[in-house]
This record gives sequence, structure tokens and C-alpha cells, in this order.
Amino acid sequence: MNALTKRRSLIVLLVLVAITLGYLALDSAADNGSAYRASTAVTVIAICLALIKVRLIFREFMQVKNAPTVLRRLTDLWVLLIGATLLGSYFLGLAVH
Amino acid sequence: MTGMAPAPQPETDAPKPAGHIPGQPDMWVLVLFEALVFTAYFAVYLFHRSASSELFLRSQADLNPWLGTLDTVLLLTSSMFMLRCVQAARAGAVRTAMTNVCLTAALGVAFLASKITEWILLTRDGHGFTSNEFFLYYFFLTGIHLLHLLIGFITLGVIIYQLRNPKRRSQEIVETCATYWHTVDLLWILIFSLLYVVR
Repeated sequence: MNALTKRRSLIVLLVLVAITLGYLALDSAADNGSAYRASTAVTVIAICLALIKVRLIFREFMQVKNAPTVLRRLTDLWVLLIGATLLGSYFLGLAVH
Repeated sequence: MTGMAPAPQPETDAPKPAGHIPGQPDMWVLVLFEALVFTAYFAVYLFHRSASSELFLRSQADLNPWLGTLDTVLLLTSSMFMLRCVQAARAGAVRTAMTNVCLTAALGVAFLASKITEWILLTRDGHGFTSNEFFLYYFFLTGIHLLHLLIGFITLGVIIYQLRNPKRRSQEIVETCATYWHTVDLLWILIFSLLYVVR
């Protein structure tokens, strides 16, 4: 393991941690002090950021970036599928209720 | 399984040939299947959350977002050490790989301790599996994730066993176990977002 690969993994980790900390800022911007408020924008952004993190983990930590095309496509497809499912069920719930 | 890799190799980072699947393909089938099962849980959770928005928000306020953030950072960091373990094992640097897998395990234990602490604190505040719909989902999702974490510890044990036995060492098994561990991290990323962050 050379310094370059160590640095790359550290940079990926720092990006992932930064996004995680960004959640707290996102929530505090939406909430009214300690009272939590419903927010479609926060929900959509939180889900999208989670999917970005998941893809980064697939690509970098799970080394899918070096995998055959079929696995790269499959993992990308899964990220899209979960994104569509999560946002779809959230908006469906809003519409039904 | 590619089998044995007994001969020590020089510590280089020569990239794997293009098209290398990290670990056994069977593990990837399991990972994607597990992910789909969890997606179904998440979809049901989000649908019901929209129905009882006030209840979910009120209950969610009793969670400690800092503890959830800490849990996330612990698992993300463990994933980085797991990657380094795989890379070191591939380069034949067994001692470095062992150090990294032990760091991964230590962070996993820290996550376990943090999660149990959170459960205890919530239980003391009167929240339980049957308190309301939000906590039903909370304990179910975090509980089933914790079960996966415990299985993850077994995979870490397999990696340590592989690294300690030069005659048995298989890079593919190390990568297969690493893939499982990353999945535990990946699922937590989604659980954290849905339980602690969404509004």
C-alpha cells in the first residue's frame, strides 16, 4: 500500500464525513430550535446525499471502480433503484395521506 | 475461489487487471439481494412516515443526532481501514493488513457500544419496540442492522484467520469478507439518513 492509495482512501473518508456533518447543518436549517419541522426539501436532499455516499462507498471502498462493467452498471442501477423507490414511497405517502 | 496465495509478494500497489471482481461473485449477489430487502423496509417506513408526520417528527426529536453521526463516522472509518487491509493483503503486506483489520474490528466494537448505549438511553426514557410506530421502525431497523454487524465480526475473524495462515491465505476470501463489511456500512448510511435526518 503506497502513500498515494492511502491518501486517496483518506480523502474519500473526509468527503463522506463532511457530507455526514452536512446533514446536521441541513436539519438545523429546517428545524425551529428543538422542534422538528416537516420538510420535503430536507427529506429529498438527505436521500440524495445518502445515495451519493453509497455510490462513493461502492466505487472507492468496495473497489467497484476496477470491477467489470456489469458490476459497475449493476451497482449504479441499484443506487438509482433505491433512489426512485425511496422518493417514490415518500411522495406516494404524501399524496395518499 | 482463486485459492492459495502463499508466496509473499513485494509490497507494491500494482493495480488489479481491469475487470477484477472484488471477492466472490456469490457475495455480490447476496449484497445486492440484501440491499433490495432493506430497500423494501425503507419504502414501507417512508410511506408510513408520510402518514403520521407529526408523530414521527416528535419521536425523532428524542433521538440524539450527534450519537447517530458518531456511529456513521465510526463505520465509515472502519470501511476505510478495511479497504487498506484488502490493499495491503493484495500487496503481500500481511502485518499491515492485520493492523488494519484489527482497527476495523475496534471501530466496529465502538459502533456496537454506541448503539447499545443509545438503546439503553432511549429505553430509560420510556421508548421501546411498542411505544409507537416510529420506535417500532427504529428498533427494527437498528436491530436488524446490528445483527448484520455481528455477522460482520465473523467475517473479520475469517480475514484474521486467513492472514495468520500463509498456507491457507486466499485474497479472494479476504475481499469477499471485506465486501460484506462494507455492506454493513452502506446499509447504516441509509438507515441513519432515514431515521435521523429526513424530516
